[in-house]
Amino acid sequence: MSNHRNKPSPNGKRQHKSSTRTYSIPDYRLEVPDYIVRQVRSGDEFRYEVEGDLNTPVPPIRDSNYLSKQQCIEIYRYMLLNRRMETALENLYKQGKVVGGVYFGLGQEACSCASAYALDKDDWFAPMIRNQGSLLVRGFRASDTMMQYMAKAGSPTKGRDGTSHFGDIEKRNMVSPISMLGDLIPVLSGVALGARLQGRNIAVMTYIGDGGQSTGVTYEGINFAAVQNLGLVLFIESNLWAYSTPSEMQYQVKDLAERAIGYGIPGVIIDGTDACQVYDAAREAVERAHGGEGPTLIEAKMMRMKGHAIHDAADYVPKPLFDYWKKRDPITRFENYLVREKKWLSAKENADLIAEVERVIEEEREIAVNSPMPTPESAEGGVYCEDGCHVIKPKYGLPKVRTTKSSAGPKQTEAAVHLK
Amino acid sequence: MPQLTYLEAIRQGIWEEMEKDPTVFCLGEDIGIYGGAFKVTDGFIDRFGPERVIDTPIAESAIVGAAFGASLTGMRPVAEFQFMDFIACAMNQISNMVAKTHYLWGAPAPLVLRGPSGGYVHGGPFHSQNPEMWFVHNPGLKVICPATPYDAKGLMKAAIRDNNPCIFLEHKYLYRRIKEEVPPDDYIVPLGKARIARAGRDLSIITYAALVHTALEAAGALSKEGIEIEILDLRTLAPLDQEAIVQTVRKTSKVIVLHEHSRTGGIAGEIAAIINERAFDDLDGPILRITGLDSAVPFSPPQEHHYLPQVADVIEQARKLKSY
Repeated sequence: MSNHRNKPSPNGKRQHKSSTRTYSIPDYRLEVPDYIVRQVRSGDEFRYEVEGDLNTPVPPIRDSNYLSKQQCIEIYRYMLLNRRMETALENLYKQGKVVGGVYFGLGQEACSCASAYALDKDDWFAPMIRNQGSLLVRGFRASDTMMQYMAKAGSPTKGRDGTSHFGDIEKRNMVSPISMLGDLIPVLSGVALGARLQGRNIAVMTYIGDGGQSTGVTYEGINFAAVQNLGLVLFIESNLWAYSTPSEMQYQVKDLAERAIGYGIPGVIIDGTDACQVYDAAREAVERAHGGEGPTLIEAKMMRMKGHAIHDAADYVPKPLFDYWKKRDPITRFENYLVREKKWLSAKENADLIAEVERVIEEEREIAVNSPMPTPESAEGGVYCEDGCHVIKPKYGLPKVRTTKSSAGPKQTEAAVHLK
Repeated sequence: MPQLTYLEAIRQGIWEEMEKDPTVFCLGEDIGIYGGAFKVTDGFIDRFGPERVIDTPIAESAIVGAAFGASLTGMRPVAEFQFMDFIACAMNQISNMVAKTHYLWGAPAPLVLRGPSGGYVHGGPFHSQNPEMWFVHNPGLKVICPATPYDAKGLMKAAIRDNNPCIFLEHKYLYRRIKEEVPPDDYIVPLGKARIARAGRDLSIITYAALVHTALEAAGALSKEGIEIEILDLRTLAPLDQEAIVQTVRKTSKVIVLHEHSRTGGIAGEIAAIINERAFDDLDGPILRITGLDSAVPFSPPQEHHYLPQVADVIEQARKLKSY
């Protein structure tokens, strides 16, 4: 490092000497899309246009290094549940039963479900608005999310918040998301810090979009996890559109996984529509976390296949881009993989599985619809944790306290900051 | 009983809680080997180790986020802000994440966010602010502003044990200026209970933190003129001790509210409204406000002096109200 500075050469001119460092960002994709989205003028209007090769063949699913046949089928089932639940929500919206909008994870089901599937029971997670599949994997019911959208008394927040904005610190280890982007990252890092003080290295998984990663708190949170070596597993869901803004206008690096270099942590790129790639990257990151090896950044490439929310027709998205990614639908591809390629599911077993999922969603929909609206007065109370409402105790056991020789009390030094 | 400064009392409060409860830990900028910019946590790292006395990056949102996350696992973090002015950098975490968490999804967040606030030290616009109202207007937070070493220790211990997020504002003017006997025992001062700092019959001054001492000095001078001032030290602005406010109004019928922070939207307006609602018939004069100006806190000493309430202002307004 000391040789980094330029030294004068014998002839008096400064000799420019530099060393080059290289970093590797593993890219597990079996296809690297080659296109860009630009703003172009078209007559009197500006619009987005896609330029590049959009006729490449759909890549195969990469075989998992870890997943068994049974586990693949289970993830597939969660992905089906995820999609059918959102279809049910869309219908409930059309029937006027939803308060506010509906947010979809269409095209992102592999990323939501296979990532959460890689967590162990004691690990924690926090979803983003589109990770409604993660909730199902971690044991929440479809009716929980449906009741949130319908603002029902039976919803996890008893009507006080909607969408996937709920949590559970007792059983399912989930931190409730808020609408502001990036704030979950330091919070999840803090969860890992708390667990480590109690003697446990746990994995803490959360997500951020290619839009949300632009926030300052994203940097603060990842950097905190990096310097403290905490088991953060951060999925950057590069789904190309942040509301209506394409990723080209969100950042200048080629791939967001490159940001990992700047944080001093490992970063990988995966195909977010390939459940096996998602799981394998997540599992390796979770195992690093359990081993006390610190955070991992996983960039999952895919596309948001609907608008920002149900009101948004996404007509700013160039149609060829939709066509390109529709061919890469995570469920269709995984279904082909399980039924045709691996023959782990017969056509009949697959049909039975789909029918079972539809039955479950219908039952869940019934529960949600039949839950009453909250009373007006239930808006009151619960602002503070009052006496007796919670017992605070360390979740993983009482921290072991270091015994030092220093038995003296605090020092009595002068103030370092001298203000008059 | 040992004499402790306000700063030493805060330090002792945190120290005792860390000795007693292994779930308590500290995090913040420069709090470890350096002991904090004001040396509140000096010696802590030697006793409790770097695991429990964590030097963080300069990243206020990460500090609050990490403290909150740790609290969800049952820890009781105490996070230091080098100056409370900088807590603005973490406002989203505090307002949208931490404050709302119990109301929205029933998760308690037992954490303390502490640091120096307040003026009279020529700290300039970014090292003199009194940001308490930013937090009073965020339901779910407790806002604590001690005036004495005894209260500073007892309120700190109560804040650490409380199951809610507490904003603990330490008045930096008081850190090493005031001293009193502080019991070396394990005691707490309950949150949400005001105290009578001086009993009097003629008029009430409702205030807190450094201005309690300003009010006491003014009351001493006014006593020589035969005006007996009652001083109510609020101790916490959220929860606000409405009963104590109503009682002092019933006793004296005349009220001055005194605070450092800017006038508009200040706690004085809220207190005046409470008196209006609950003790209007007991009033025998207008409720007066003595406050900071509606501007940033200026740097230059003559300007800062003009901005901040002074003993002379209190004496003048008290005389005026007494003769109303």
